[in-house]
Amino acid sequence: MNPWEESLREALRRKAAPEGFTDRVLARIRELPGREKRPWFQFRAFIARPALRWAAAVLFLAIASSVAFREQQERQRRQGEIARMQVKQALRIASVKLNAARRMVQEVNPGTAQSRL
Amino acid sequence: MNARRKKIRINAWAKFFGAMLLGTLSLPAFGQNPRLDIKNLEALAKKASEVVDVNLDGSLLKLASKFMTDEDDQEALDVIKNLKGVYVKSFTFEKPGDYSPADVDAIRSQLQAPAWSRIVSARSKHDGENAEIYLMTAADGGKVLGMAIICAEPTEFTVVNIVGPVDIDKLSQLEGKMGIPRLGEQDNEPSQKPEGHRAKP
Repeated sequence: MNPWEESLREALRRKAAPEGFTDRVLARIRELPGREKRPWFQFRAFIARPALRWAAAVLFLAIASSVAFREQQERQRRQGEIARMQVKQALRIASVKLNAARRMVQEVNPGTAQSRL
Repeated sequence: MNARRKKIRINAWAKFFGAMLLGTLSLPAFGQNPRLDIKNLEALAKKASEVVDVNLDGSLLKLASKFMTDEDDQEALDVIKNLKGVYVKSFTFEKPGDYSPADVDAIRSQLQAPAWSRIVSARSKHDGENAEIYLMTAADGGKVLGMAIICAEPTEFTVVNIVGPVDIDKLSQLEGKMGIPRLGEQDNEPSQKPEGHRAKP
C-alpha cells in the first residue's frame, strides 16, 4: 500500500461525531430565521389576504375593461373615419356625375336629350 | 254548430290568403326597392384599371355623420342626414369595349316604371357619353325615395345609387366644394373623375 492510499484510507475512516455535535447543529437551526419570516413567504402571506385578492381582481377587471373600451372606441373611430371618407368620395362622384349629366342636357343636341330636372 | 265554426274558420283563411295574394300582386307596382342590385358589376373589377366601390348602409352613414364635424363637412352632412344608403361603383378601363351594354342594361332593367322615373337621359354621340338619372318617388309623387345615376363613357362606367330622400339640388351644389373642382373651372385637367380612394384591382 503506497502512502497516498494510506492517507486516503485514513481520511475516509469512519469517525464518531464529537460530543454534543447534534445539539449544536439543532441549536444553530433554531437560531436561523423562520420560514414564515423570509421575504418571499411574507409576500405570499400578504397577497393571500382575501381583501387584497378582491382588490386585485377588481383592479384587474377595471384595467381590462378600460383597455377593451378604449380599443372599441378606437376601432369605432377608425371605422367612422373610413365611413366619412367614403361618404365624401361617394358624394363627390355623385355630384360630379349629376352635374355632368345636367351639362350634357344643356350642351348636347337637344334632339338627343330629354330632361325633367 | 260545428259546421258554422268550420265556415268561419274557412272564411278567415280565405281572407288571409286573399290579403296575401293582393299584397303579392301589388309588389311590382309599389314594392320596387330604391336599392339597386349592383353586385353583378363586381365582375368588371377584374377588367378595370381603376375601381371605386363605396357601400354605405344606414348604420355606416350614421357612424360617418358622427365624425363629420369639420366645417367643410356640413353640406355633405346635410345631404346624407336622412339617407338610408349610398352605393357607388365606378370603373375606369384601359380601352373602350371592356364593359358591355349588357352590364348597363342589367342596371337599367331594375329602374322600371312606375316606381322609377327617368328624369334625365343625355347622350353625346361625339364623346360616346351616356348619362341617365332616375328618381324613385313615393306613390303620391312627392317624397323622393331613391336616386340612381348611370354614366357610361367609352372607358368609364359609373353607377350611383342613393337610397332615401336625397335633395338633388344640395347634392348638385357639392361640386365646387369639399375639394371637388367644378368641371368648367378645370378644363385643363386630364380626367374629370374626382380624386378619392381608388382600389386597384
